[in-house]
Amino acid sequence: MNPLRVVCYLNQFFGQVGGEDKAGVAPRVMPGAVGAARAIQQALGDAGTVVATVVCGDNYAAEQADRALAEIVALVAAERPDLVVAGPAFLAGRYGVACGALCAAVEGQLGVPAVSAMHAENPGVDLYRRRTYILETGSDAQRMLDEARRLVALGLKLARREPLGSPAAEGYFARGLTHNAVVADNAAARATAMLLDKLAGRAVTSEVPLPDFPTIAAPRLLPALGRATIALVTDGGFVPRGNPDGIEALAATRYGAYDIEGQRELDPALFDNVHRGYDTTFVKQDPHRLLPVDVVRDLERDGTIGKLHETVYSTTGVATTLAHSARMGREIAEKLRAAGVDAVILTST
Amino acid sequence: MRLELHWSRVDEVVAGPATRLAGHSLSVDLEDLRARLAADARLGEVRLDLAHPGESCRIGRVFDVMAPRAKMDGGEDYPGVLGALVRAGGGRTRALAGVSVVVTDQQLENVATSTLALIDMTGPVADLSPFGRTHNLVISARPAPGAGRSEYLAAVRMAGLKAGVVLAQAAADVAPDEIEVFALPSPARVPAALQHLPRVAYVFQIHSHQRPTGLDEGILYGDPVRRMLPTVIHPNEVLDGAVLRGFMGRAVTTHAIQNHPVIRSLYAAHGKTLWFAGVVITVAQATEPERVRSAAMAAGLVADVLGADGALLTKIGGGAPHVDMAQAAAQCEALGVKTTLIVEDMSTDGTQEGMLLFNFPGMDALVNVGSAQQKMALPAVERVIGADDLAGALRLTIETTYGGICGAIEQVGASRVTALIR
Repeated sequence: MNPLRVVCYLNQFFGQVGGEDKAGVAPRVMPGAVGAARAIQQALGDAGTVVATVVCGDNYAAEQADRALAEIVALVAAERPDLVVAGPAFLAGRYGVACGALCAAVEGQLGVPAVSAMHAENPGVDLYRRRTYILETGSDAQRMLDEARRLVALGLKLARREPLGSPAAEGYFARGLTHNAVVADNAAARATAMLLDKLAGRAVTSEVPLPDFPTIAAPRLLPALGRATIALVTDGGFVPRGNPDGIEALAATRYGAYDIEGQRELDPALFDNVHRGYDTTFVKQDPHRLLPVDVVRDLERDGTIGKLHETVYSTTGVATTLAHSARMGREIAEKLRAAGVDAVILTST
Repeated sequence: MRLELHWSRVDEVVAGPATRLAGHSLSVDLEDLRARLAADARLGEVRLDLAHPGESCRIGRVFDVMAPRAKMDGGEDYPGVLGALVRAGGGRTRALAGVSVVVTDQQLENVATSTLALIDMTGPVADLSPFGRTHNLVISARPAPGAGRSEYLAAVRMAGLKAGVVLAQAAADVAPDEIEVFALPSPARVPAALQHLPRVAYVFQIHSHQRPTGLDEGILYGDPVRRMLPTVIHPNEVLDGAVLRGFMGRAVTTHAIQNHPVIRSLYAAHGKTLWFAGVVITVAQATEPERVRSAAMAAGLVADVLGADGALLTKIGGGAPHVDMAQAAAQCEALGVKTTLIVEDMSTDGTQEGMLLFNFPGMDALVNVGSAQQKMALPAVERVIGADDLAGALRLTIETTYGGICGAIEQVGASRVTALIR
């Protein structure tokens, strides 16, 4: 196996350019292993060569973050690395953030494995742990060589595309990514053992952590109901025939806004349903089973509510990622608020 | 209730002039079997192939896999579907180890190929799926002209069950290698010396009504369970052909139900570390009132009829059944019954946040059978069976998902894939 080409990233201090007085220096590249990168080279041994060390001042990286990142990525890319090692940054905040940002960009833009290391309280951890592998270190450089060895061990696995052990075993902050693996016992045997542990009051480690969703309290309706504008929103797959917005049948990234002005009722001939997660036979026969336009028009007419908002919003809520759900919800809420809507009836399936 | 499975191990399957097991070599009269299966008026041309472990062979368009089984002593096979309606789960049943019946779906015009799975007889799939390690009789039956979708699927499933019976009957003259006994008394009858054991029930979601369920989609003793409410059955009924997989079949095979891993696991621990209190069967419902009713009734049966201290729950199908199962578990926990659930990793972007579709307090003991969405590359093969229309593409290196590999992810817990968080 050819030795890997490794590029290290350091701040001005660990790159031996200078102290806080040199924190404004622009990114520069130096051949070979410089400063703390020598510990990385030592840990690499014959497995890889630090072909260059990129150094940037902490303030330069923090105060013009986007520009600095682009410059550093360009310097790194020019060295054609197989692996990028940033840090260890320990508790140095500006440095840790720069390491995290660089590793995330190198993985995302260059497709090159990258790894960093810092203390759990470094702000770079919270900002970048989801986007790159960050090894947990102590608070300072006392055990530099030992931590460089662990960092290199993790980096080599990434560069060689070898399977990683658990976050606890390898010492990195969990990214929260799931990977299939084959284990010794089938799921039924594991579930039986887990249930017996739970029944006996022994500690149980769930294979899926419970999600930590924030609780969002329903806001109070400000105007009296009789003067309120009510909108209908659904994730049940309601679309005009032909699905003009191309809303996905599952894992949606799009939603549609559909004008119902002048429609006392929804004509089933004009609408369809693209949801792939439930039996849509009945809502296709009668879309009011999903979007109760008929009933809400009655309430509008008899004055129970002020007005039905004349635009309905719809998407498919099936295997939709949380990120897209949150974004679509935010966008729809902003549009409803801008249109003066006071309340929403959400129908799900 | 007592069931005996009389197991014969099969090391070799060959085409021959008669269908019989000699030693551990199974010879199959393919022409005779083909003619018997083709007698079904719902089917057109029927083709049979053999695929063996280690062969460079890919089986495409896989619809379901069955274990060869045949009742002894004049019993009825798959009552309500193949045999006459009697109760299943008692008596003696012949079973073959090392052989599976693979049914492919040849209704080409009706099928999005992405919904069908594949089996490789060598390479990485053989590690993931038990069906890459068995000798497989592959049935590829064309629909008769005019056969509807549900009608066709009912017919090919019937062909698979029949073929399995014929294969198992071939062991009639051979002494079994092993007799496996499943004996469980009524849940009320616990010997005094074992009354300290925790009582554990299994809540088995046998079907999901996310799709319209076909009239001929026999699932419980031939019933399409369209209006089924939670009920209690004996675990032997599941092992002995009372429950068949529906036609949707996402990440579950009839084979896994016939060898139900949760039931086997609870039997293995029964009388030692737990008392197997029984099985509650449920279906994933389509509407909220049905879901709430079903969850409440299932939990009531677990807690107050079976008197269980703990319950293990599984689901079948996609997202709605996932929530359905969790609601039943939440109701169990509310009644003081501790629960463990087998879930899939439901994330579509590979993130931990997306793994679950529920967030009930106390649901702190979850086992996962991996992500069906995760991609996997498979090497090129020399031969493709069961998918003549796709053979050109399927012969090459392909990228599929774990969900696209039959047997890699079994929602009832038979598989060993799990999603690890990294």
